Amino acid sequence: MPRAKFQTLTEQMFYVLICLRCERCGMDILDQVPAETHGRVSVGSGTLYNLLEQFLEAGMIRETKVEGRKRSYILTGYGRETLDREYRRIATQAEDYRRIFEKEDRK
Amino acid sequence: MKTTKKEMFLFSGWDRSGLEEHLARMAEKGWLVEKITSYCLIYRKIEPKKLTFCVCYYPKASSFAPGPTEDQETFYEFCQHAGWVLAAEWAQLQMFYNERENPVPIETDPVMELETIHKTMKRSGLPAQMMLAALALVQGGLLISSFRRDPVEVLASSSHLVSGICWILLLVLTGTESIAYYRWRARAMKAAERGEFLPTKSRVGLQKVVLGIAGIALLYYILSVFTSGDRMMMTVMPLMFLWIGLLFVLVNAIRKGLKRKKVSTNVNRVMTIGSAFVLAYAMVGVIIFGVLYAGSHGWFAGDQGTYQYHGTVFTIYDDELPLTVEDLLDVGGADYTREWRDNASLLLAQYTARQRPRFDAADYINMPCLDYTVTLVKLPALYDMCKNALLAEYDGSDEYWRDRAYAPIDAALWGALEAYRVMDSEYGPWDIYLLCYPDRFIEFSPDWELTPEQMALVGEKLG
Repeated sequence: MPRAKFQTLTEQMFYVLICLRCERCGMDILDQVPAETHGRVSVGSGTLYNLLEQFLEAGMIRETKVEGRKRSYILTGYGRETLDREYRRIATQAEDYRRIFEKEDRK
Repeated sequence: MKTTKKEMFLFSGWDRSGLEEHLARMAEKGWLVEKITSYCLIYRKIEPKKLTFCVCYYPKASSFAPGPTEDQETFYEFCQHAGWVLAAEWAQLQMFYNERENPVPIETDPVMELETIHKTMKRSGLPAQMMLAALALVQGGLLISSFRRDPVEVLASSSHLVSGICWILLLVLTGTESIAYYRWRARAMKAAERGEFLPTKSRVGLQKVVLGIAGIALLYYILSVFTSGDRMMMTVMPLMFLWIGLLFVLVNAIRKGLKRKKVSTNVNRVMTIGSAFVLAYAMVGVIIFGVLYAGSHGWFAGDQGTYQYHGTVFTIYDDELPLTVEDLLDVGGADYTREWRDNASLLLAQYTARQRPRFDAADYINMPCLDYTVTLVKLPALYDMCKNALLAEYDGSDEYWRDRAYAPIDAALWGALEAYRVMDSEYGPWDIYLLCYPDRFIEFSPDWELTPEQMALVGEKLG
């Protein structure tokens, strides 16, 4: 079944939104995502371009500055809520994993 | 030394993987793609090197746009930042290369990439395929209806046969293209849910086969026209090919000119498509007018003479006929026009002979006429079908000729296998015969009652 849009976030969506906790332009994000994940996650330029467009449309980020073609963005309240929801989902999964396997490992 | 190279563009628009592999192979051979058009890829010579290519799509782009939009430029800047250099672009199709080792791909989310490809396909690829498939279906339908009406004429006509082959090929190509795309998309969506991009499967082989068959069919048609001796077709056909080429160049020049003048995408689209229609209809109009004018002025007569009768120019055909009125009757051959037309394909051939008095002949009304058509069956399997089709011309089912039907007559007089004569239930026998020989049929229509000797001569000369 296809994912409902932004009900859950992909790793790339998650880190792009995290990067936008402070004002950043697209090219900053391209560098920042691998930097913040120690090179584990990278976002393709086409994917980022589409993501920024979709996040803007969904009201998860807003444009803060336009200098020529350079546009900067920042996370909105709704974007932060979406990130929090995703964090709680991942945390719940981690908690379930820990609880189940700790119990089994104790047997 | 050659510094540029052109290559026919045989890839499906959505064949991302096939194109990327091909472009990388070309770069290793020292050719870097620098331009792409709707029909070819243009390369420039470089030092052979290993490059990574990425073919991606920008759905909002258009071949009618005056240039890349601000947003598109932003997209290019993002790509450039990751080391991707734009090599060539055509409408939504964008081709980048990267000299870095293991570069981050432009698209890293297969679900989003599939959405982008599908948006692009819905905007241009699929509607174009659908329109071409619809055109092929309509033309195929018209051809089938002609076949049902007169199968012998259709099978004996190389133009019908070749156009039939071309429409079938177009239908196969467009139909399978859409099916292949949707099948790949269905599987790619499942793979994307697992986080993988399913590579596209190249259809270049099929495109080459189809082009090869169409090329052979076209060549056969051109040869058949030039060997037919039909001066009108020998003039019209090259003109039509020339005009189609010119139409392509003109329409492309209009589109490019409007792009240079920075005309908006929509205005350019409307003007380019509109000019294509106007020029295409103008072409048909000019050709029809030209043929009628040239015909009425005897331009297609060639070595044949002409005469004027009541202000109209008529051609005096002097073709050699295998059987003439003079062979059958004791009459002189003067003041006649003798016309021989042939229409042949690989399956059947139809030769039509017509001997008529000239309109300006003194005894025009009383001079006998002779018409006959020889249908030569080259493929024996078609013999029965041809016989039935020719018999069906007078089988009493036609509303206008419902009183007339072929009835068997003595074939031995003609030296034929079978012989038929049209009988009218009200007026009796008509001078229209159908004669069946082992490899041919003869429809014979004199305008007098034949004697047994004349029948034998017909069999001897034509059978």
